[in-house]
Order: sequence, then C-alpha cells, then structure tokens
Amino acid sequence: MTASAARRPRLARVQFAATVRKEVLQTVRDRRVMFMLIAAPLIQTIVFGFAVDFDVDRIPTVVADRDRSPASREHLRRLLADGTLRRSAVAGDAVEAERLIDRGDAAAAVVLPPRFGADLAAERPAEVQVVLDGTDPNRSNVAAGAVSRYFGEVAESMVRERLGRQGLPPPASLTVTPRLSYNPSLRTAPYIVPGILSMLLVIVTTIVTAMGLSREREVGTLEQVMVTPIRPLWLLAAKMTPFVFIGLLDVLLVITAGSWIFDIPLRGSLAVLFAGTVLYLLSTLGVGLLISTVSSNQQQSFLAGFLFALPAILLSGVMTPIRAMPAWLQAVTYLNPLRYFAELARANLLKAAGFADVWFQLVALLVFGVVILGLATARFHKRMG
Amino acid sequence: MKGRLGHFLVRVGAIAAKEVLHIRRDPRTLYMALVMPVVMLLLFGFGVSFDMERIPLAVADRDGTGASRELVDAFVAPGEFALSHRSGPEEAHELFRRGRALALLVVPRDYQRDLARGAAVSLQLLVDGADPVTANQILAKADAIVRSVGQARALRAGLSGQLPLRVKVYTLYNPEARSAEYLVPGLAAYLMAIAAVLLTALTVAGEWERGSMEQLFASPVGRLDIILGKLLPYLGLGILQLLLVLGVGTAVFDVPIQGSPLMVFALGLLFLVGMLGQGLLISVVTRNQLVATQAGALSALLPSMLLSGMLFPIENMPLVLRALSYLIPARYLVHGLRGVMLKGNGLAVLWPDLLALALLAAAVLAAATGRFKRRLA
Repeated sequence: MTASAARRPRLARVQFAATVRKEVLQTVRDRRVMFMLIAAPLIQTIVFGFAVDFDVDRIPTVVADRDRSPASREHLRRLLADGTLRRSAVAGDAVEAERLIDRGDAAAAVVLPPRFGADLAAERPAEVQVVLDGTDPNRSNVAAGAVSRYFGEVAESMVRERLGRQGLPPPASLTVTPRLSYNPSLRTAPYIVPGILSMLLVIVTTIVTAMGLSREREVGTLEQVMVTPIRPLWLLAAKMTPFVFIGLLDVLLVITAGSWIFDIPLRGSLAVLFAGTVLYLLSTLGVGLLISTVSSNQQQSFLAGFLFALPAILLSGVMTPIRAMPAWLQAVTYLNPLRYFAELARANLLKAAGFADVWFQLVALLVFGVVILGLATARFHKRMG
Repeated sequence: MKGRLGHFLVRVGAIAAKEVLHIRRDPRTLYMALVMPVVMLLLFGFGVSFDMERIPLAVADRDGTGASRELVDAFVAPGEFALSHRSGPEEAHELFRRGRALALLVVPRDYQRDLARGAAVSLQLLVDGADPVTANQILAKADAIVRSVGQARALRAGLSGQLPLRVKVYTLYNPEARSAEYLVPGLAAYLMAIAAVLLTALTVAGEWERGSMEQLFASPVGRLDIILGKLLPYLGLGILQLLLVLGVGTAVFDVPIQGSPLMVFALGLLFLVGMLGQGLLISVVTRNQLVATQAGALSALLPSMLLSGMLFPIENMPLVLRALSYLIPARYLVHGLRGVMLKGNGLAVLWPDLLALALLAAAVLAAATGRFKRRLA
C-alpha cells in the first residue's frame, strides 16, 4: 500500500508524459492540422489587419457643380483634398446625383448651386446641398461631417474678413488642440490586432478541442484510452497541454507579424501577455471540453463552438466598442472571458501595462478558467464513468 | 427520355431523403443551425453600434470662471460626454492617466479674459488613442462642441445674425441612421455562408471519414445524383435561414424590404447554390471534418464578414483586398440585398450582382464536380 502510494505520482507523471508525447506526435504528423493551427491564424491576422479600418475615408462622392465658376471649382478641389471624400462621378444636377447614389456608384453627393461663386463674392447667403446614402450610418456621418466642417471653416473666415474690412475687432477664436496618447495617428491595426489574438485563440483552441474530442468519441478511441490505467484527469491534462504551447506560439506569431507588417507597438512585457494567455486558454479549452461532453458528433461540436464563439467575439469589444452597447448588454460582457483577454492584450501591447495594471483581468480570467474547466471536467467524468 | 428523367429524379430524391433523415435523426444540429441566426441577429442588432454616448471625460478647469463653466456644461450636455469627476486639475490628470477618463479637457488660465479680449484661445484635449473608434468620436464631438460654443459667443457679441454659407444635408434610405438596417442584409449573407458551406462540408467530409461515401458509389446512383441529393436538403435549410433572418429583421428591427421579395429570393438562391458548391469542394479536397471546418472558416466565413462590405467599406481596403473582394460571392449578395431592401432597386440596377453570383456559383460547382470525379477515378 505505502510502496504503491509512493510510486503513484511517478506513474502518473510517466503516463502524463507518454500521453502528451502521443498527442504532440499526432498533431505534428498531420500537416493539415498543423497548417490550420499555425498558418491559418497568420493569414487571418493579415487579412484582418488590412481589411478592418475604422478610419472611414475615400468615400465615393458625386460632385455636381452647377456653378462651374473658378470659385466653385476651387472649393470642390479643397473639399476633396484631404481624402475623406473621393470624386467618383460627376453629375449635372441633384436629380442625376441621386440616381448615381441609387445605383450604388457613390455614397454621397455634393451639389453646389448655380451662381455659388457670385453669391459668395456678393455676400449673399448660399446653400450647399449634401445628399447621403444613409445605408451605412457610420460612413454617412463621416461624409456629412467632412462637408460641414469644410464649409463651416470657409464661412467663419469670410465673417472674419468682413469684420476686418468694416474695421471691427474680430471675435475671439476658439479651437481645440488634441494630443493623442498611445496610438497618436489613430491607426486601426494597433487596436484590432490584440483583439484578433483573443478571437484566434477561441477558434484554434475551443473549436479544435471540441471537434477533436468528439471525433475520438465517434471513432471510439476515447473509450479505448479510458480502459487503460491512466486517470481521466491526467488524460485531459495531457490532451490540453499541447494546445497551451500552440496557443503561446500563435500569440508570438501574431504579435511578430503584427509588429512587422502593421508596425504595432509591443510596449509591454511578454511575461504579462503569456500569463494572461495561459489563464485565458483555461477558459477556451474548458469551453471546448464542455462542448464535446454535450455533443454527440463533430457537426454538433462545430455548431456549438460557433454558437459560443460568435456572440463571445461580438460581446468582447474586439469589433465594436463595449461602451457603444446598451447597458444590459454591457453588463453581459462582464461574463465573457474574451473581454478580459482583449483588454489585457491591448493594455499590454499599447500601454505597457504590467501585472499591477491588469491584475483584475488576470484574476477574472483565472476565476473563469477554473470554473469552466472544473465544470467541464466534472461532466467529462460523469459521461465517461 | 421521360423515363430517364424520372429515374434521375427518383435517385436524387432518394439521396435527398436519406440526407433529410440524417438531419431529422439529429435534431440538435437542426436547432442550432436555426437558432444561431436568430441569436446572432439579435446580438448584432442590439449590440453592434459605433455610436457612443457618455464617454467619460475629465476636466482640468484652471480658469474657474463663468465662461469656463459654460464651456464645461456644453461638453457634458446630454448625449455628449459624462464628467467622470468634478475635481481639481491634479485629480483630473490622475483620472486620465489611470484610464478612468478617456479624454482630458484642459481649460487654460485666463480663458474668460482672453475670450473677452478677442484673442485666439486654444483648448487642450488629451485623448486616449488606444481605441481609434472612440478617439475619433471624441475628436469629432469636441470639435463640434467647441465650434458651437464659439459661434454662440460670436452671435451674442452682436455678430451678423446668419452665417453666409450653410450646408443642408439630405439622407436617402435609412434616414434615422439605424445600424440594424445596415447590418441585417450583411448578416443574412454571413449566416447563410456558415450554414451552407460548413454544414455541407461537414456532412460530406463525414461520409468520407466514415467510409460510407465509397458505399454510396458502389450503389447504382451516379455521382451527379449524389451531389444533387446531398445539396438539396441544405439548400432548403439555407432558404429557411434566409426567411428566418429576414423575418426577425423586419419584425424586431423594422428593416424594410422596399423592393421585390422575388429579387431577395433570387439573390439568396444563387448565393446559396454557390456556397453549397464551395462546401462540397472543400469536403472533397479535405475529406476530414476538422480540416474542413477550418478551410470553410478561412475561405467562406472570414471573407464573407471582412471582404463583403458587411461591416467595413470595401473602398477603404488596400488594392489587393479590393481586387480579391470581386471573387467573394458575399460581396454581391450584400450589395444586392441592401439595394433591394433599403433602396428598392430592381433588375435594372442589380443584374450585375445576379450575374456575378451565377457565374461564381457555376465556376465553383464545376470545380467541385470535377474534383469529385477525379477523386474516384
């Protein structure tokens, strides 16, 4: 009894090591699986990094210059100069411009009225018409803002000029000088790449674990392993271990690609990011395991994985700001491990956050990880036993 | 001739019936395939918005006069910023440093006096730039607020009552700027892509994995019969999803269908056929459900979300991705659905979308059947 008790931990270690070895070999041998664990995350990072751009510009715009005077041409040239609006078509009047928007050839139209230049010169009130395709509210806001801003500035300088000519003192000018910290040119990539990390890890670990275990159940190999002397807990640990390393490898790959291709800053310490990743993987692997225990085949596992992943991604603040959600939905995001990992990754990469700054996120990830993994293991036990 | 057609239909029907049985025997898959679109639609409709109200702002008012208080009040007006704490300048800086406030407005000393003198006054605004979406909104809001405060002061100072130049904005379609109207058509494409590509890829890959595909080949049914029979039930499922998404979209989010429902249907059908073909192609190439999932996610889900214009405007992307987007069926579906539903476009405007969807579907089906035949030879 005492001798076998002393031998047991060593035996468990040997069994654990053997199973890890088997899992690693099995994963590495299948080139397609390796591709999806390593190359797919890279491809996704690159596509996301290039495709996602919150900074709306180059909005296709129809220009209808009904004045055709040097003044109107000059104003249009200056309006389009900063690149927010891009001239995509020219129309004779507002009706034609609307037809072009209807066909989808443009998202906005700027119509300068006849005698625009003459009215301005004579100081008669003039009106610029903007027609917007409201389908995309974000884009139409930006377009309206760009036009209003430009002509607002023109109007203000005209007023100033007029007062000057009349010998009156100009009114005080009030402006804002913004200073941006962390991401001064407001590029999307430094913000989105840390978010992509949390998404990729869900796809790679949760769905792959859930489907992998379901497959073993389908084929019957899980039952075969269960009749060997290895304890279920060690078996699970051994199955998860390779994913922890793959997850860490993916993190390294993504941040390397991010800093090379998209020039995202890596200001924080890798130790914090890795600690966060490991704690986060407890949750994602736990969810994968949980899904596999409630699914009877791979198709179900996949669907359940997506049913978890999509809302979790949506409610993590990765794609759209949490602050823009209604209050009840904001409350729900506190139950989402992705939220904490995305916050941690962003704070780490952009703001050089250390353990002291992200302790709350780390604790939250730990709590979620332990609870989810505990639940999943209990279910797994029940199902196997 | 009639006999041959009849036999063909019987064989396809038999395979389809077998597939329907598979789906029926596994109702959980069916539920999830139908629940997922509804959940996603509700979450997207309620949750996805870029508009923020009450962004936390710290204020370091170094002037502390009537004019500076008026300015701060304009910043914290409803729908603009939320003052995170009314406190001294040092505490305000600390709030911003610790991330409790996303912006810090610094009102300089002598603000009121300089304004009265007619000097040029510059307010400093420190903005947390980590999240560019929020930061851009902060900048736009602050700019508009300061402009209107300046104008209000100028008008009160007896400046001519009207600005010499006004901008009048008309918004066509979606005048209330609701994101749901924008998202529902895009989401329909995304959700149909999930069901059509991935479920097909998984079932067919499952048949390879289990070896039952070879058994089917040994039976007198032809390859075309197998393909069509396998795809038909999923086509039905996809159409069901489309109806579900549109139903929830119109019922819950009030998304209009201005144009012809027939056009919506035609676009959806062509898209689904192409997606099913893509699923088939993936399953033939991978023959493994796990790999098929990832291949499907990479080749269908990712582009359907990112390169279709569903969330992010295509014209903002670099040239390579813009060129690539022409090969993504979801691009045409999203454009087409938005056209029919929001603008009421008809065939005259949308024929290029229909044509592109048809061509892409034909190409992918040809590739899939070609691969399918070679795989057996």
